[in-house]
Amino acid sequence: MTTAYRAFAVGLLLCFCNTASSVELVANRDIDSEIVSQNTLRSIFSMRMTQWPNGTPIRVFVMGDKTKQHSEFTKHILGVFPHQLRRAWNRQIYSGMGQAPIKVQSETEMLEQIENTSGAIGYLPEDLINERVRRLSVE
Amino acid sequence: MSAYGDSQLNKHWIALLLVLLYQPMSSVMATEFAELDRALQIHGFLTQAYVKTTENSFFGDSQDGSWDFRELGVNTSYRFSPQIFASAQLLSRDAGEMYDGSLDLDYAQIDTTLYMQDADRFGVILGRYKNPFGLYNDTRDVAATRPSIFMPQAIYWDRVRNMVLSNDGAQLFGDLQIDSHRLSLRLIGGRTPIDENVEKSYLNPVLDPKLKQDGLTVGGRLLYEWDGGRFRLAYSSASLQLDGETNMLPDGTIDIDYRVVSAEYNSGNWSLTAEYMQEPLDYTGFAGALDIADTTLDGYYLQGTYRLRDDLELIARYEESHYDKGDKRGEKTGQRLGLDAHNFYSRFSTLGILWEATDGLILRTEFSRVDGTIFLSNLENPSPNDKSREWNLFSLLISYSF
Repeated sequence: MTTAYRAFAVGLLLCFCNTASSVELVANRDIDSEIVSQNTLRSIFSMRMTQWPNGTPIRVFVMGDKTKQHSEFTKHILGVFPHQLRRAWNRQIYSGMGQAPIKVQSETEMLEQIENTSGAIGYLPEDLINERVRRLSVE
Repeated sequence: MSAYGDSQLNKHWIALLLVLLYQPMSSVMATEFAELDRALQIHGFLTQAYVKTTENSFFGDSQDGSWDFRELGVNTSYRFSPQIFASAQLLSRDAGEMYDGSLDLDYAQIDTTLYMQDADRFGVILGRYKNPFGLYNDTRDVAATRPSIFMPQAIYWDRVRNMVLSNDGAQLFGDLQIDSHRLSLRLIGGRTPIDENVEKSYLNPVLDPKLKQDGLTVGGRLLYEWDGGRFRLAYSSASLQLDGETNMLPDGTIDIDYRVVSAEYNSGNWSLTAEYMQEPLDYTGFAGALDIADTTLDGYYLQGTYRLRDDLELIARYEESHYDKGDKRGEKTGQRLGLDAHNFYSRFSTLGILWEATDGLILRTEFSRVDGTIFLSNLENPSPNDKSREWNLFSLLISYSF
């Protein structure tokens, strides 16, 4: 019985890890790190962390809550649901403790903003990522 | 009834805030505004609810169907640097006889981070800030952040909302992240705005009571979060002393403590939340006439939500409140004070559904069965013996936030 549960749990984990996420984490070239931990990433995207280790202010860019890209990013890279992230932002925005991320309307706008904004972080589909942005991996 | 509407300080702040809100729109060029946009943000919300009860009045003349529950808020914030942040919010809240919709300065604060290393920080907030009590107090008036149309009354009383809502003073905050564990401490000290709702809840309305705070409200919250909020556990507390004047008795004081233990577990589509509150009340002076009212109130709720779809959520909640934690059905208290027992407890079950129609627009509908009347406002139900013990509550809410 226990073995069956264990096999099921391992199966779930595999499913979770193997889910191909079509978006990747990207940042402006002025960010010198290439790897961020998932905990740091959650602090950044829940708008609690406001500056990069090198002192540059963090600018967070996201697409609409209901877009496929945003949903894939939050579920597969951050490991939370979009509605949980939205509530975390709302708790900060309406209690005066923090700000909302900057919303972009399209992938091309996301690319432009990440390229041109110091300290920017966001996500992009594989095929749009070029050498003018930095790809970050999550450990 | 507005807590702050009459204060001179309040008027000045509101005027300043309106100027600040108006300024970027008018005098700054569009290109400069785009630059400012990175640091300056403006957000707000509009909420309208409909409330229908079979008996008793809750948020207006609800037996006839009440539209008298409306919340409007607008805020602005400016990030000067990663370390310095300022924010302010104006709020108009119409809630039956309890709040008349007049414009209040909800918060206006400057937040300075003195130490910052990755996700760890330590700093101080000065000004009027929302009290971090339990899981919901600091955003209780925002429909998009509370769990249901009405806050769980067992913890977040609407009839004495202002007693715990905000403080004018200072707050120290500290966050510490170790792997997937996060500790967040907030310590508060300041003056609490006291209004007629508080006066007429802690003292009998026939005494024409006036309450003034003696000293400062001090307290805080320690919050532990695991795995990005999958599990959250918190302890909050605050104490304050009120000096009371009545038209019949010598003056006296009321000591109030307020403590909340909170726990939440989020797993995929499920979320389970429980909070327990204890509030010891101690009356001194008043020629000993109110010593009989000394008590420890308590209350708790258990709440479960389930996400049916990305945009649909079901909620179920059970809550209980007791005027005396040792007298769960109010019988002894009722006998002692010569009133019906149902005035001293309530048991409240709610079922509801949330639809997040667009990024900012939400709709909710809920149905509740209630036994007991403890959380009903004396301002809305002036005569304790005219209240009905068993009643049903139906409500609808539409809210837009940006």
